[in-house]
Amino acid sequence: MKTNWVWILTFVGPALILLMVFLIIPIFASFYLSFTDFNVFAMTDWNRAKFVGLQNFAELFKDELFWRALVNTLYCLVVAMPVTVALSLTSAVLLNREQTKFKNFFKVSFFLPFVTNTVAIAVVWSWLLNPSYGLLNWFLSFFGVKGPNWLGDPKWAMPSVIMLVVWKAVGYNTILFLAGLQNIPDFLYEAAELDGASPWQRFWYITLPMLKPTTVFVTTMMIIGYLQLFEEPYMLTQGGPLNSTLSIVLYLYRQGFRFFKLGYASSIAVVLFSMIAALTLLRLKLAGQE
Amino acid sequence: MRRGSLILLLVFVLVTFSFAERTLQIWAMGEEAKNLDVMAERFMKENPGVKVEIQAIPWSAAYDKILTGIAGMQLPDLAQMGTTWMAPFGAMGVFEELSPYMRDSFISKDIFFEGSWQTVELNGGVYGIPWYVDVRVMFYRTNVLKEVGYDHAPQTWEELYDAAKKLAARGENMYAVSLLYTGVFGNEFIPFVWQAGGRIFDERGEVRVTDPEFVEAIEYYARFFWEELAPIGGGNLFQDFASGAVPIFFSGPWMVSMIDQQTPEVKGKWSVALMPKKKTRSSFVGGCNWVIFNTSKNKDLAWRFIEFMTKPENQLEWYKIVASLPAVKSVWEYPELANNPIMKVFGEQLRDAKSPPNIPQWEEIANAISRRVEEAIYKKRTPQKAAEALKKDIEKIVR
Repeated sequence: MKTNWVWILTFVGPALILLMVFLIIPIFASFYLSFTDFNVFAMTDWNRAKFVGLQNFAELFKDELFWRALVNTLYCLVVAMPVTVALSLTSAVLLNREQTKFKNFFKVSFFLPFVTNTVAIAVVWSWLLNPSYGLLNWFLSFFGVKGPNWLGDPKWAMPSVIMLVVWKAVGYNTILFLAGLQNIPDFLYEAAELDGASPWQRFWYITLPMLKPTTVFVTTMMIIGYLQLFEEPYMLTQGGPLNSTLSIVLYLYRQGFRFFKLGYASSIAVVLFSMIAALTLLRLKLAGQE
Repeated sequence: MRRGSLILLLVFVLVTFSFAERTLQIWAMGEEAKNLDVMAERFMKENPGVKVEIQAIPWSAAYDKILTGIAGMQLPDLAQMGTTWMAPFGAMGVFEELSPYMRDSFISKDIFFEGSWQTVELNGGVYGIPWYVDVRVMFYRTNVLKEVGYDHAPQTWEELYDAAKKLAARGENMYAVSLLYTGVFGNEFIPFVWQAGGRIFDERGEVRVTDPEFVEAIEYYARFFWEELAPIGGGNLFQDFASGAVPIFFSGPWMVSMIDQQTPEVKGKWSVALMPKKKTRSSFVGGCNWVIFNTSKNKDLAWRFIEFMTKPENQLEWYKIVASLPAVKSVWEYPELANNPIMKVFGEQLRDAKSPPNIPQWEEIANAISRRVEEAIYKKRTPQKAAEALKKDIEKIVR
């Protein structure tokens, strides 16, 4: 059969053009920009941007703040990922029990943080975390613990950001895990129960292996999402104190949209992109091997 | 259907053209945008055949809006421009140079406050006309300071430090002064440098942040944090001010009405005063200017609007509408301003107020200053070492 290109293009064309203009071309443009010194003076006259080869990257690897941002971002990923998985899996399992009451109420309340505007959340959290009249330190004081200055102490600022990140992500991932749990056929559990498997054994030998496709998806998305950490530190701490919450994307934003060093910012974007691609591939490869 | 809407559009365009031959497009932000139509109405009455279109942009979206406007060359005739945005957007080469317009106009450098005029000059040219100004002064709780023996505002650095010590000694979670240090606080910190007699660049463009005056300012600023006289981390300025936990802070004229709205319970128990003196009592002047974009086809009309807004009687009118401080000096002699005790302090402070260097890299420099001063605050470096690191940073930025 002869392929009818006219019709194919008529239907696919509009979407293709949109994709090209708003996604593909900008991606390649920013890749190209990373090899130029595009700055504030080049905004209206692109000819003023010079091709500088790998100079941006050479500078980037010497940039103390970039390394700081890299370490901070990985810190967030390494802590937030397992915590989010553990919490959302636990809440999904609890929600999946037949005995649990008010299931929809819990589902909605877990999901709310995910759909709420981060700006509003950050305002509320900065109140919760206030050292002298914040709710969290007030709560801790009942146990005789003097809570730290969450956002003012360089040691505690990143954990505060991670708390917010995890709290926001748990709802969404709970729903994903819940969907995964509901796909596990009941007869597996019934058979295991007949064979005398304890609840813990059932969880370990049936639930976890059967959930693998969901876990792979959830963790992969988390790698991609957490490496792009931006809104939470931007709203809560603006990267401070002492740059302890400066993330890669926050640094990119500063360089590109505050200092107008778009060439330099693009080189950060390229490095971040390669990191995300590498880690995602690694994750998928590990999943394939098991 | 489509033809119908086309005809409608055509009719609409024709109608607009026949009623007003020329349209002046203005971008304005925040409270100004909401109230500017009152002034536009008068301008239209004085200039028949002119239509003024005001597009209101929230402050939070303004920066991006202007940036995308410049990138796509979709700009209005005239816009309100924050003073610290003059340099970066000016460097993009989109503002009209205004000195030719000033030649036969009543508008000249001398009618404005010096610090405010600094913000419109870029590379020796004039790229804007001041509209209104902001200047930071000291806000303090009169009765709280009286408790520690101050029946007047601290006048000097020594007095401020002494008062702070006594205020912080009141008990746990009691502080003296809010120095608002989260994020980028270059603009909060830099007045202390000026007061000490320091500067960032000298006349020849050399970086002078390792001068003893600059280091002294870092030390003075950081000491408030070292000795827990200023709170670290998030807090609520209004709450702390009303409770007396933080009875002193430095801010601009917008705070006057905000304190009254947010914490009416302290009415009559607070006042404003000039910045504390070391060598000078310099403060930070900001505010907004008018700029004409060089893509405009109505530059003469845009200039006429600027002249209209600069006239003393209209500046006064504008003060009555939104209570922002007039940039024209002579307006301050009207009784509305001269007889208002709070405004008097602002007026006096304006005579000793500066703006940061008007260069496109200022934002980056302000970031570097924040970073290094913060290192001194957290005792990662001594003030001297922080200043040395800052010198290297700034030299790299302006290189």
